Amino acid sequence: MMMRSLLTGLAVLVAIAMGCGPVQAEDIVCITCHGALPGKYGEPVKLWQGSIHAENGIACNACHGGDPKDAPNAMKKERGFLGAPKYNDVPEFCGRCHVGVLKDYLASGHGRALTRGGPNCVICHGSHQIVKASLELINEKSCSRCHSYERAKLIRGAMQETEGIIVALDKRIAGYKAVGTDTDRLEKELFSQRNRFHSLFHNVDVKRVTAESTQIQAELKKLDTTLKGLDEQGRKRKLAGAVVVAGALLAGLLVHLLRKTFD
Amino acid sequence: MELLKRLYKWVDVRVGAGEIVEKELTGYLLPRNINAWYSLGSVLLFIFALQVASGILLLIYYVPDADKAFKSVTYIMNDVPFGWLIRMCHAVGSNMMVAVLLLHMLSVLCMGSYKSPREFNWLTGFILFTLVQGISLTGYLLPWSQLSFWATTVATNSANAIPVIGPQLVEFLRGSKMVGPPTLGRFFALHVAVIPAGIAALIGAHLFLLKRTGVSKPPFGQSNTTNQWKGDSYRYEDHPGGIPFFPNYALEDARSVFIYLAIFMAVVFFDPYLFFPKDAFLPANALVTPAHIKPEWYFLANYQTLKIFPNELIGLSVQGAAMTFLALLPFIDRGRERHPLKRPLFLACAIGGLLLWIGLSVWGHYS
Amino acid sequence: MDNNGRRTFLGACLGGIAAGFAAAVLWPVYRYLAPRSGGGASAKVVIPEKDVPEGEAKFFEFAGASAVLVRKRGGELVALSAVCTHLGCIVQWEKEKQDFLCPCHAGHYNADGVVTAGPPPKPLAKLPFSLANGAITVG
Repeated sequence: MMMRSLLTGLAVLVAIAMGCGPVQAEDIVCITCHGALPGKYGEPVKLWQGSIHAENGIACNACHGGDPKDAPNAMKKERGFLGAPKYNDVPEFCGRCHVGVLKDYLASGHGRALTRGGPNCVICHGSHQIVKASLELINEKSCSRCHSYERAKLIRGAMQETEGIIVALDKRIAGYKAVGTDTDRLEKELFSQRNRFHSLFHNVDVKRVTAESTQIQAELKKLDTTLKGLDEQGRKRKLAGAVVVAGALLAGLLVHLLRKTFD
Repeated sequence: MELLKRLYKWVDVRVGAGEIVEKELTGYLLPRNINAWYSLGSVLLFIFALQVASGILLLIYYVPDADKAFKSVTYIMNDVPFGWLIRMCHAVGSNMMVAVLLLHMLSVLCMGSYKSPREFNWLTGFILFTLVQGISLTGYLLPWSQLSFWATTVATNSANAIPVIGPQLVEFLRGSKMVGPPTLGRFFALHVAVIPAGIAALIGAHLFLLKRTGVSKPPFGQSNTTNQWKGDSYRYEDHPGGIPFFPNYALEDARSVFIYLAIFMAVVFFDPYLFFPKDAFLPANALVTPAHIKPEWYFLANYQTLKIFPNELIGLSVQGAAMTFLALLPFIDRGRERHPLKRPLFLACAIGGLLLWIGLSVWGHYS
Repeated sequence: MDNNGRRTFLGACLGGIAAGFAAAVLWPVYRYLAPRSGGGASAKVVIPEKDVPEGEAKFFEFAGASAVLVRKRGGELVALSAVCTHLGCIVQWEKEKQDFLCPCHAGHYNADGVVTAGPPPKPLAKLPFSLANGAITVG
């Protein structure tokens, strides 16, 4: 509570510095206004706040256009406001940024079925509370809304193993990052493979998924080898440490004994 | 052996080395009941030397430019052979220095060695304590990580509460309104040149005073433990019949240093990241404040004190008063008694103060 | 063992440990200070000129990461890292637009690697290369 004054002061300082930089997401007029509205007009704000877009500073105007700083004109067409896209326009809407995903989706069974009642992006990912993609999106409840879960289950099974490897590698890399190891290359490589893997999600061809998964696992093995190398280096250092500590203790003991000879 | 003796003689007839050895080493007598606590000063000297050595080595690869600092530290940690070892020695060593310093201070307080005629020694020691806090604070910014940046922001911000000159003082400390490249520049100069020189000078003064006044006798194992100093004229406090510094106490010093080394190396090799939250490995981002920025453990009590008081100025003043009280202790506590168990008021205040400091620190850690 | 004998023995042991410590300190410090050798990442890659016609880009692996050679309209060659500076995806060459597009979040770079649109914070890193006898040597 008393920290408030310190934090407010800090926030003010930060806000001042930000006057020259990009507008912080929380200050845009979209959130100020819609955040206070009831029901369906205010809900998207709360949902968005829990999203990965919010985590990365991607706010309302990034997708819906409009003016984030000028309240009276925020939703004017002249300011680039796009509104909420219609069902069939959703893939193009999201695909302005997620170019690769759009391409994969349009080539897939789901994409080709779009105009015949097939799923668009928000059916599986949600529209505002979009979280980091994972295999959890392929589940019985979601898929059986339109068809049986059989094939989806096969695809999920084929990908589960690779997903597990990626998650494990991510954790190990984070562990090394937390001790000052330069994990830049490792992180980027994992990210690249993860993206390549996730582009499979939008492709519903089981054979292709299995083949690609095998290739990706080979690349991931290389990362695993690098991390094993780091593990080994860590072990060697600990061993050297044990020797040094033992040496110091031994020296202390010898000095102690030497001291006693002078009493 | 014969060669060594000849060498020694050669130096002795020119410089009178024998006389010095006699006076400072083998003939320098310490009280018989001296204990291991008295060796903490030597341990501190050893730690300081290690910090200077590792610091100079780091200087070779570190770049004090806001754009390059973080990368240069990453380079040291990952690409320079044994760079990780030098860096971790320096980082862990700074924490150890504060810990051992607190122990040293505690032992001086307990044995009443700050009392007359050693007020000067206490004062120089207190200034050293402040300088060590300053060198830790300035050093913290240099890696230019998220932790560095924001911990420095919070720490320098506390000066804001000082009336009239507060905001300008903060800006002066930082060299700009927000922590930035000017802050790195001045903190680097302070950390690498100004404060180490200050510490070295004050260590010199501290040791000179120690030698000049004479080591105090521990107030244990005797019936009369009161301060015998008359205050009529200068007199060196000697300890006739005592043990020679060399080799007897020098060996105790060495033993303490080796024990310290064992503990220090155990931390460096097995858990050096004890003092490193993960924000220490993210490059500084002036636009994103991490969620749980906290200062180092030795500043947690100060941090928590500021949080408790509704008014920042009161929080600062309380701390200022406490530090002033500590600094002037020899002038406030003029009692002649030196044995801790025979100074009930002192003991109550000291234990109370210590528990308060520990309590505030723990609270600060969990808040 | 009398005191003197003990002292000599202990002194000798300590001397040994001290020598060990000295070595344990001097070796790392020596390695820390010693000038570094070139480094393994200097493996060069050679690509025949004819593999990079005008208006086209050739992707290859360099120093463990993806790289690309572009021959711009007008004949000039550019060698760049193909790793997007936003979050690390590999960029794609768009022949019709003569620019790079990152499929992850639609970052755009021109043929020189300069950011023209989207989230990338920095341009694509330039790689050194030389041209001789119809072969391009990158690195």
